[in-house]
Amino acid sequence: MRVYIGKRLLEIVPTVLMITLVVFVMMRSIPGDPVVALLGDAYTEEDAIKVRAEYGLERPILVQYVIWLGKLLQGDWGVSILNGRPVLHDVLLRLPVTFELIALSMAVALAISIPAAIIGAVRRNTWADYTATTIAMVGVSIPEFFIGVLLLLTFSIGMSGALPSSGWVYLPGTCPTIVCAAGLLGNAQHVLMPALALGVGRAALLTRLLRASMLEVIRTEYVTTARAKGLAERPVIFKHALKNALIPTITVMGLQVGFLIGGAIVVETLFAMPGLGTFGIDAIIARDYQQVQGFALVTAIAFVVINLLVDLTYTFLDPRIRYTG
Amino acid sequence: MAERDARTRPMPPPIRGGSTREVDLPAQVTTWRPTEAAESESPFMQGLRRLRKSVTALIGLAVVVLLVVVAIFADVLAPYNPIANDQTSTFQRPSWEHPLGTDQLGRDMLSRIIHGTRISLLVGVSSVLLALFVGVPFGLIAGYYGGRIDRGIMRAMDLILAFPIYLLAIILMVIFTPTAGLIGTMKVTGAIAIVRIPIYARLVRGSVLSIKEKEYIEACRALGVRDPSILFRHVLPNCLAPIIVTTTLGVATSIIVEATLSFLGLGTQPPTPSWGWDLKANVAFIQANVWLSLFPGLAIFVTVLGFNLFGDGLRDALDPRLK
Repeated sequence: MRVYIGKRLLEIVPTVLMITLVVFVMMRSIPGDPVVALLGDAYTEEDAIKVRAEYGLERPILVQYVIWLGKLLQGDWGVSILNGRPVLHDVLLRLPVTFELIALSMAVALAISIPAAIIGAVRRNTWADYTATTIAMVGVSIPEFFIGVLLLLTFSIGMSGALPSSGWVYLPGTCPTIVCAAGLLGNAQHVLMPALALGVGRAALLTRLLRASMLEVIRTEYVTTARAKGLAERPVIFKHALKNALIPTITVMGLQVGFLIGGAIVVETLFAMPGLGTFGIDAIIARDYQQVQGFALVTAIAFVVINLLVDLTYTFLDPRIRYTG
Repeated sequence: MAERDARTRPMPPPIRGGSTREVDLPAQVTTWRPTEAAESESPFMQGLRRLRKSVTALIGLAVVVLLVVVAIFADVLAPYNPIANDQTSTFQRPSWEHPLGTDQLGRDMLSRIIHGTRISLLVGVSSVLLALFVGVPFGLIAGYYGGRIDRGIMRAMDLILAFPIYLLAIILMVIFTPTAGLIGTMKVTGAIAIVRIPIYARLVRGSVLSIKEKEYIEACRALGVRDPSILFRHVLPNCLAPIIVTTTLGVATSIIVEATLSFLGLGTQPPTPSWGWDLKANVAFIQANVWLSLFPGLAIFVTVLGFNLFGDGLRDALDPRLK
């Protein structure tokens, strides 16, 4: 097992290298560069050449990539071209915000989908099942940002502004500067709508998948056996059926990570949250090469690590699955 | 579907070996249909008949057909010019004159939504077709020839799949630089198609791997049929069912991706009406006029729901094994 994890961790390296390299080449193949935006009205050809030389932008793209990689290995993520701040510093500031958003939205998704799927599968073709499947169908058809807008309309515009429509209050202890709002209640108020917006869509998808695989598992021999030996319905469903039904569901969840990252970008933009999503989209649009590389790096690592975690979850859900080196 | 039939139609008792367990399995009880046995319908016709019985699939199909009609006749149906500003009537609430109100430039929301149908459907359908056009031949060739060709093609596909889909789509759109009008729409279509090519290549390759071992393919080879002919006339038709289903559901996904890109400001640019962009632009004025951000969102939702319902119905009808 340990050998397997080690091997998989090593496999992360080429994937992350490839993603960052492709992003690097693609960003620099866009006509125009951030130097024009940086110099603004004061733009002169000489200044531009000087600034480009300062950031090494006049060298061949692959050489630039190797330089970036070399610095990265020394822990230097580079400095933003547009605002001069170290990229790693900004990434570390914003990572907890996005992490909290994604973790909570997954919690929302699981909290809704597991009961809904079980009801749908166990009470198949009853009104409870039809309600659950209909709501799930509606849920998978609504884009995150529209759920967000509906939440905004309900809780920020309606209900006399019960929840704040934008901004952020940090969790105590994660506050990046001396002058910033931090507090548990404020944080909860700010994260609630974004987490719901991102979580509800996932919940709908999960419900559909989990219900289908529950229906398959319930028909299997070991569930019949469990019932035949007199086990109560509850342990049969939770211990025998649910655990096995979760396996294909979790695989698809792993594949959904790419969509979750997009969802985070959209939801953070809608609620004006200072997370990695808004950091990434702003950097890409402004063509701040260094920031984009930082964003691509974090995203790639998260993407690969989550997929590894998905594979490792299998061993917990199904002890027969054993990874050997 | 099968279960519903099983309850309504007379069914001979299943004749099976000793196991009592199998009797209880609804999925394995084959429905006995005397008419079907006599006429021996083609699987396609059977699928069509199953589809006709699914209420939800028909609702989905109706929504899709309605949207296509709206998109085609947008110029006739829209009461106003969707991009004509009218500074004298901004932020109007829904009224007889403007059924869905007007936005911050006084543009009629209903007309914008009607014209927005074009962008959504055009991008949704054509990006999937483009992805099919590239992905299916790749999948066919990779699966049929195997070996080094297979490894080469699938390695390239894995490269795209290794990306979080939105990261790639966003960067592609920045490279293409979003613009308005038809060119802008084509750029979005291209970006979405590229990220979705591997899905079809993988799907087709998987089907081809099993089909190419079948005897009728061997018979074709023995008869000296050329490879392209075997691939397109014998292999491809046999992996159509999963392709059709994935395509329909793929349109729904593509429409969401398009709306998301527009929402981020990277879709078709204004003044071309696009639902995602309208939603984003009007969220800023949510205090001034609640309705404005509601309608584009509803339009996206109804469109995606239509394709999802239809796709789900198709899946149940064409290939009950695909779940």
